[in-house]
Amino acid sequence: MFLRYKFLIVMRAIWFIAQVSFFGLIVSRLVVFELKGIYFQYYVAGIIIMMLYSVSVFIGYDIFEEAEHGVFEYLLSLPVSRKELVLGRSIGGGIRSFIFVGPLIAIALAIVGVTQIMNLVIALSALFLFAFGASGMSITIAVALKSGDRFDILMGVLNALIIRLSTVMYPQVFIEDASNVYAGIANFNPVTFASDLFRWGVGIEQYLTMTPLLAILGIVAFFFVFTFVGVTVYERRLEGGGWK
Amino acid sequence: MMGIFHIIEYDFRNFFRYKWWLAGLISMNLADLFVMAIVYNKMVDPELARQIMGYFSFFAPGVTILGLFASAFMIGREVNMEVRREIHYYMLSLPLSRIELALGRLLAGGLRGMMYMSPLLLTTFAFLGIPSPFQLLIILAALFLLAMGISGLSIAIAVSTSSFEKFVTARGLVYYVLFFCSTIFYPLSLIQSLGEEGIMPQPLVTLAAINPLSNGADIIRSFLLGIPAFTLDMVMNLALFSALFATTAIFAYMKIIQRT
Repeated sequence: MFLRYKFLIVMRAIWFIAQVSFFGLIVSRLVVFELKGIYFQYYVAGIIIMMLYSVSVFIGYDIFEEAEHGVFEYLLSLPVSRKELVLGRSIGGGIRSFIFVGPLIAIALAIVGVTQIMNLVIALSALFLFAFGASGMSITIAVALKSGDRFDILMGVLNALIIRLSTVMYPQVFIEDASNVYAGIANFNPVTFASDLFRWGVGIEQYLTMTPLLAILGIVAFFFVFTFVGVTVYERRLEGGGWK
Repeated sequence: MMGIFHIIEYDFRNFFRYKWWLAGLISMNLADLFVMAIVYNKMVDPELARQIMGYFSFFAPGVTILGLFASAFMIGREVNMEVRREIHYYMLSLPLSRIELALGRLLAGGLRGMMYMSPLLLTTFAFLGIPSPFQLLIILAALFLLAMGISGLSIAIAVSTSSFEKFVTARGLVYYVLFFCSTIFYPLSLIQSLGEEGIMPQPLVTLAAINPLSNGADIIRSFLLGIPAFTLDMVMNLALFSALFATTAIFAYMKIIQRT
């Protein structure tokens, strides 16, 4: 289904190129001395997580399209439990995000380089869980709201805040310097866990917010919460009827 | 003449139908300003920060232009949808001349951009200071030219793309090239230094200098921050951009909607 969105894939690829070759490159000249030598690689790694997150949450929009065309009722009529359905959607959403972001990860690795293969494998495995969790979160919100408009606005606000209040674009030490409130939110942000872990995986360890183990635990918690909350919300909101 | 007002009214009514989209855009612009810019403020090299008066001050006019661009560009999405769904036959059946129809669409796109941008501009004034009435007049005139040019560019793209996918892809390309290859996020001196080192291709450096978004942001900065110095070239560039795309859009729109 996702491959139908060819234009989305082209758009995201253009966005990635623009982010890396313009914003990343130029801003790496703008930053303080201690960041100058490292910021470009730091930013490229962050962009991958930003992309992984935004592609993973796209599944929520698919759910609305399915509801609009009556496919949702068809899916509910299949001989699969609600649990299997929501788990399948979360995992499917996560896997397709990886298929899409895979080539971009390869480009990022070519730019940043890899020092420890084992660290990278661990980081990528945890990022799978992050992608499943983000898809689960999107499904949970979509099913809980059952309104395309409200979903659109909430995801717009959430995306704007979850990315900016994380370490995707800047190290935690500078967020702390700017605002303790922002730093506090960034500390518990799943996008921070994912970007820290990916940077650790590729060997950019200078500005990590937390230990890799804590980041993995954070991602595992994020995955479990949204998968199980997703299953519960899905069952409660759809039991005894369809989408409407 | 009244026909133009009716079309503007029609487009404004449509604009408010996208309240969810607008709310998302506002939250993104505000998050850019009050989260991203505040953190970058602490990350910018102190020497450079002195030159640009701090990143937050530098970026506030930039985010105003970002908002103006995104909202003025929305008219293209509607025009593209109308052409694809053949709603333009209804538009043609209205008691309006073709030129009124085309001018109305163009003006509506630009005015919607100005309306959306106003709170962002006021926020910029609140943090950076109030310009003199004459400076304010120049800023508003320059932004209006920019909004009209963007509206024209968006209509021109909308009528030259046959499917929504192609329109969205073309829009993405234009968005990202114009956003990132401009002085919205960073000063021109940085882009020029990358050009001198051979890292950034020279045509892109030239594009950043003449980019209408750069000129729009720099005009606000020149009056509120004093950098870069205001030059008439900035306004001339905007006038040229506006004239070029407004004319292209009017003729392209009239030609496309009359095609059988």
